[in-house]
Amino acid sequence: MKDIQRVSPVVFKATPLKTEKRNNWEVVMEYSGEGEGPYLVDLSHKPRFDFQDADLAARKPFGIRIPEIYGGSALENGVLANRMNRTQVSLYCIDGQDNTVIPDEPGFTDVTESTMFVALIGKEVFSICEKLTALDFLDPQRKTPFLFQGPFSHVPCQMVTLSRDGDSSGIVLTCSRGYGRDMIHAVINAGEEFNLKPAGENRFTKWIKSL
Amino acid sequence: MNRFNHLPTLKIDTTQKISFIHKRKKIYGVKGDTIATALFSNGIRIFGRSLKYHRPRGLYSLDGESSNTLMEVDGIPNVRCENTLLKEGMVIKEQNVKGSAENDILGFLDKLDWMMPAGFYYTVMHKPAKLWPIAMKQIRKAAGLGEISPEFKMPGKFDEIFLNTDVCVIGGGPAGMMAAVSAAKKGLRVILMESRPWLGGCFEFRSKEHQNRLSLHERAAQLSKEVESLKNIRVFTHASVVGTYNNNLVTGFQIGKEKDAFDERYIELRAKSVVVATGCTERPLIFDNNERPGVMQAGCALRLAKTYGQLPGKKAVFSIGHDFGLETALELHDLGLSIACIADIRDDGQDPALLKKIADKNILLLKGWVAVKAHGRKVVKQVSLSTIDGSVTRKFSCDLLVASAGMTPVTGPITVAQGKLKYDNHTGFFLPDAMPEKMHAAGRIIGLDDPLSIEASGKLAGLKAAFDCENGSIQEIGQAKKDLENLPGPVRGTKLVTAPVKGRKSFICFDEDATLKNIKQAIAKGFDVPELIKRFTATGLGPGQGGIPGHNLPLYVAKYQALPDISIKPTNVRPPLVPTLISTYAGAGHQMLKITPMDEMQRKDGGVFRNIGVWQRARYFSNDFSCKNEIENVRTNVGMLDGSTLGKFRIFGPDAVKALQRVYVSDMSKVKEGRIKYSAMCTDDGCVIDDGVVVKQGENDFYFTTSTARAGQTAEWIRYHTRYDGWNFAIVNLTDAMGVINISGPNARKVLQKVLDIDLSNEAFGFSEYKEFKIQDTVPVKAMRLGFMGELSYELHVPSSYMKSVWLMIKEAGREFNIQNFGVEAQNVLRMEKCHIILGSESEQRTNLLDVGLGFLWDRNKPEAKTVGAVALRQAEKDQTRLKLVGFKMENNTRAPRDGSLIVDTKVRGYVCTARDSFSLKEAVGMALVEAPLSKIGTRLEIFEDECGNNRIYGMVTQMPFYDPDGKRMKM
Repeated sequence: MKDIQRVSPVVFKATPLKTEKRNNWEVVMEYSGEGEGPYLVDLSHKPRFDFQDADLAARKPFGIRIPEIYGGSALENGVLANRMNRTQVSLYCIDGQDNTVIPDEPGFTDVTESTMFVALIGKEVFSICEKLTALDFLDPQRKTPFLFQGPFSHVPCQMVTLSRDGDSSGIVLTCSRGYGRDMIHAVINAGEEFNLKPAGENRFTKWIKSL
Repeated sequence: MNRFNHLPTLKIDTTQKISFIHKRKKIYGVKGDTIATALFSNGIRIFGRSLKYHRPRGLYSLDGESSNTLMEVDGIPNVRCENTLLKEGMVIKEQNVKGSAENDILGFLDKLDWMMPAGFYYTVMHKPAKLWPIAMKQIRKAAGLGEISPEFKMPGKFDEIFLNTDVCVIGGGPAGMMAAVSAAKKGLRVILMESRPWLGGCFEFRSKEHQNRLSLHERAAQLSKEVESLKNIRVFTHASVVGTYNNNLVTGFQIGKEKDAFDERYIELRAKSVVVATGCTERPLIFDNNERPGVMQAGCALRLAKTYGQLPGKKAVFSIGHDFGLETALELHDLGLSIACIADIRDDGQDPALLKKIADKNILLLKGWVAVKAHGRKVVKQVSLSTIDGSVTRKFSCDLLVASAGMTPVTGPITVAQGKLKYDNHTGFFLPDAMPEKMHAAGRIIGLDDPLSIEASGKLAGLKAAFDCENGSIQEIGQAKKDLENLPGPVRGTKLVTAPVKGRKSFICFDEDATLKNIKQAIAKGFDVPELIKRFTATGLGPGQGGIPGHNLPLYVAKYQALPDISIKPTNVRPPLVPTLISTYAGAGHQMLKITPMDEMQRKDGGVFRNIGVWQRARYFSNDFSCKNEIENVRTNVGMLDGSTLGKFRIFGPDAVKALQRVYVSDMSKVKEGRIKYSAMCTDDGCVIDDGVVVKQGENDFYFTTSTARAGQTAEWIRYHTRYDGWNFAIVNLTDAMGVINISGPNARKVLQKVLDIDLSNEAFGFSEYKEFKIQDTVPVKAMRLGFMGELSYELHVPSSYMKSVWLMIKEAGREFNIQNFGVEAQNVLRMEKCHIILGSESEQRTNLLDVGLGFLWDRNKPEAKTVGAVALRQAEKDQTRLKLVGFKMENNTRAPRDGSLIVDTKVRGYVCTARDSFSLKEAVGMALVEAPLSKIGTRLEIFEDECGNNRIYGMVTQMPFYDPDGKRMKM
């Protein structure tokens, strides 16, 4: 029997220092030479769900409130809920041990496998973003966290800005899994001048807890 | 040349030498030099030769408005040397010369101008017609600017940046800086773009008093500091705007500094409001030999000294039409330039303070005089001046002629945004009349010349821009307006365009060697408006983007035709306002393609990949592109294919079936659990756009596939066609979530049985059946028995992250059977032998469901579903004029025709969709869409291939499918 392993669409040219086996994923907790930031963290193993309902106001997926405004996001109990449109919400389980299972109620689809999922953390994050997208992450009219659905390096993405506060700035980004290789290449390339480095999940956990 | 090193305005560091190669000789410039100023400091006056007449050309404006100083730099042709900073080791070559710029063999063409009147290439050498190709080659050899090899690879790093801001200020002069500051002080985000490498504009190099003994350059430094102190102003220097568009989209490019991570980058920015403070350039004065090296504009002469620390000549004559010319003469005189004479076009109106200083320094000033001719074969040696009416003439020896008719506003950013200009009699400018929405002009562009007025107008524009961003008050704007009104307004400008000359050698456009005589010739031929004259004479169509002829052309045309002022119209300006490299527009050029979860493994197995739509797919697994081995292995053994690019969707909810009924032609209420339903989707015209399978996963819960090409549009397609129904269903795109492994061939079952715990016998898992199970209690699989390749076949849909593990398991299990990969091309041949169609290959935009023989899928008995395309299909049913899909075999076992070849007789009757030499059938077969009368079995098809001439090949319509017509193999 072959050992069954899950493979992330994200591949970094960096040496993992610490890894953790989780639900058949080999999760890298720390890379060598992570530097001083900004950081790029692979979160593709984090459970993600699509939730659709004609009456979203009446639903509380994972017991959390759904933002009323399209493009609004809310982070509660380690779950990031992003209001996509009238009937649809994306849910990212970003904190915890990744063992969230699909709730046994209508409307949920597990889309963990559909997308690659990364976090960009550090004060230069938006300088990197503006090299790849025309979306205005620094629009003062928008309050964090908020969702963008649009092109990032020409590819349709969901991007949630969680913080715009100096060193704590950061976004999480998902796009079709198939674009994983080229998206990572584009982000690393855009971040090169800012010393962007791949980092393990520990960096992300520390950051998300600090928000 | 000794360089000044004591001036506070200098932008060079004379202590840091930079070596470069010019004409194979190592010479030196200093840090801060442009290529042009470094060459000038080495005594080089002739930079290149002109396009048509090969006339010597030299430094003229320092802002790159003409092709005079285009040179080849490090192999890159047409580099604007006036504004390209010098770098260590650069190799500079002259271009458009036969010999050298100094001694150009083709220089004799200057004497043959009589042979080349305006538009000569439209009118001569066309009769006899045979002559033109020969003449054209010779003209192209003699003319043109730089050359580039098709193999040339652009060196350097190019990038792009997409910005958002409240206010964008174009122009970093005093007005632009004031606008930026006043908007920024309102708390708005401001972006300031300046084409020069530093801020300051027309203040930055001048010693004239601003107020209270503060010089203009000191004031520029003050403003610059204030701008830099405001964190909400982002400054982009050495950044030129190339276009402005609707909704204040501004595009441009920036040249990188030494420490920047890019050499050049494309800028695209969205602003809520735009301030245009681009100032003025000098309007060239037109006289005989007005482009001779040694003739230059006042700003060029002054900046050479004040910014780059070198005198533009030893002895100068000035022929100017504005106070800035007088100011320049005085400043350069103080720096050691000998001035033989100043000819001022104006009889009066000069600043008395300047006149007094000129008199105090005993400089000869001739009012109402103008230069009529620059003498000297290659460079200026003498100048003829005359009175404006040409009645009196005097000659002066000199090596520098500073010539400038007046100022002209840089209105490009306004006009490309569809702003309108109107000729103003007082200033002689084309002034902004109707500004585009949320765009404001400030500074010299609106005719102001007084430093305080310029700044006040900038402040006013900044407040107006803030108001656009809903941040400011009418009262503030009113006050700023009043302040401006209390300051000096626009100055009177000179109207003179040309000296009293005949114009044979008086150039209105340097880039295209267009003279006043050419303009007259064009008018004589009936081209009476500047837009037509521009095209007929090519005036303003060169790489300087009309920078030199600019407003002179319409002004001259109006004057020559004695038109009233009101009808003077400038010619259209279009982006790019400033030329730059194509590489800059390409930017970082990230290739964004999708890969499947098996990409890496297939590459290791020798996959030859091709870009197919948004995906990279393994098309072949050897260099034999006929794929003989891959095909035969599937027919006789077992092969595996990565089918992950298929579109995959989940649709669920109480009204999911209704939605499926709407878009699929079949009756989708009949989809049974455990069974696969194959169906197709059509457009409203009945044209078939997609096909795939649907399976039921639970109550009101379906999983379906689409073609690879349609995956991106399917969710929206379904939502669009149900938008008014208010149905309750949800659709989720799972294309990337699930990988697909297709195992095909007579041994497929044996291989798969080694991996799976379920019974795979034909009885337990028959053809067209669907199962869900787990591999090793871990990996969830959706399995389908299909037969696209015409063989026993299983399609496993596996979560993408598990694909590698499952792929390796199957590979290992198949080792004893020698399982092999097969790619997209082998799949294409295998399915073609079975006459299974691929939409897009066997169809095009106009092909309907019935044309391709898929009419059997259409269920006519569900009118309540309002199936998309059903109405059109009913109409098309009886239409005998449509193309039909047929199978054909080639006559005499000849080779297969190329895909897309035409079916002809006396007319085109159809086309070949896919045809290949079939290894399974040992003959060439294919499918074609042909007119109905040709679709009968046994019809001979005449096939016309590209460039085949009269050598046609022939096929015969035959029964489909070609391979295993009873379908036994896929049901085994």
